[in-house]
Amino acid sequence: MPTQSDTLRDSAVFNLSGAVVMVVDDSPFSLTLTTGVLSGFGVRPAYTVGSGVQAQSLLAEKPIDLLLIDTDMPDIDGFELVRWLRRSGPNPNAFTPVIMTASHIRRGRVAEARDCGANFVVTKPFSAAMLLERILWVARDTRPFLEVGDYLGPDRRFVRPELYEGEERRADRLRNNMVEFA
Amino acid sequence: MTVITHVQRRSRLAEMVDRPGGVSVGVALAQAQANLGGLRDQACAIIADNIAVLLAEPAPGTIEALRLDLAYSASNQIIDAASPFAMDDLCTAAKGLCDLLDAAPRQGGFDWRIATVHAQAMKLLLSLPTDAAAPRAAIVDNLAEVLKRKLPAAPQTAHQTAHQAVQPTA
Repeated sequence: MPTQSDTLRDSAVFNLSGAVVMVVDDSPFSLTLTTGVLSGFGVRPAYTVGSGVQAQSLLAEKPIDLLLIDTDMPDIDGFELVRWLRRSGPNPNAFTPVIMTASHIRRGRVAEARDCGANFVVTKPFSAAMLLERILWVARDTRPFLEVGDYLGPDRRFVRPELYEGEERRADRLRNNMVEFA
Repeated sequence: MTVITHVQRRSRLAEMVDRPGGVSVGVALAQAQANLGGLRDQACAIIADNIAVLLAEPAPGTIEALRLDLAYSASNQIIDAASPFAMDDLCTAAKGLCDLLDAAPRQGGFDWRIATVHAQAMKLLLSLPTDAAAPRAAIVDNLAEVLKRKLPAAPQTAHQTAHQAVQPTA
């Protein structure tokens, strides 16, 4: 996993100019801000969308390389949209990297934030540097997608298991029930 | 519990990020800052408008739940507008208010003076020079005290919990 210092060296070069990016946010000013930051990164968002419903219909038709989604929207909120997306296979966008942005997450919705299937949830305030770091991180994210109960999304465990030295109390039970798809 | 693992194919984003061409991190961040610079005044106007919403008297007969939602939305918009411009103390104040509004009983009983105090504090933060570190810190500290007293059941805020739940540990 690249560390922040690796990905954000000033001289490090990246190329996102061909990326098809969709930004979903019900606030027009937030869309303008995000688009401005992405333009600085050499990305012209192909789609800036003000509602979850509109995003859903585009995602069913157009291939997207990266999604930036606001959590709090009036019709279909960000969590619901990502949950739908992850279960929208064979839609190729089902595995598209998703970064969610949140001003504030209500206490009753923390579990949804964890379980919706996004690659990353970034809470504000965040800087342009932090957003770039997250974009480069999800671009290189190699975590497998897991289906566990209601959850479908990237493996939420970030800790490298080879570094864990304690007792693996549930390992046998989990490994015996694991099915792998190429 | 059964676990199905889908081994991830390399995404198009992963393939293109290391292609020749592109831009350096330093240049990209400078360009992003330049693009944002032109939007700062608009952001301040949006923050001021939403502080005014928080300070306004509610229309007679406004249902408490609706009033809570309107105030929560105004605080959210303050965070949205302040976030890219490193107005972190304003964001902290607005997040504190969001936490309090989120925890308030929907049927009534929220002490609206707390919202007024937060809104006035945010107004002051917006007007203070950015280098006035001491008064800014004092305002944020006082609001943190209010939060600690009025939100005793929350050892950490919801957004912190969510943030930690999805942050990489490495």
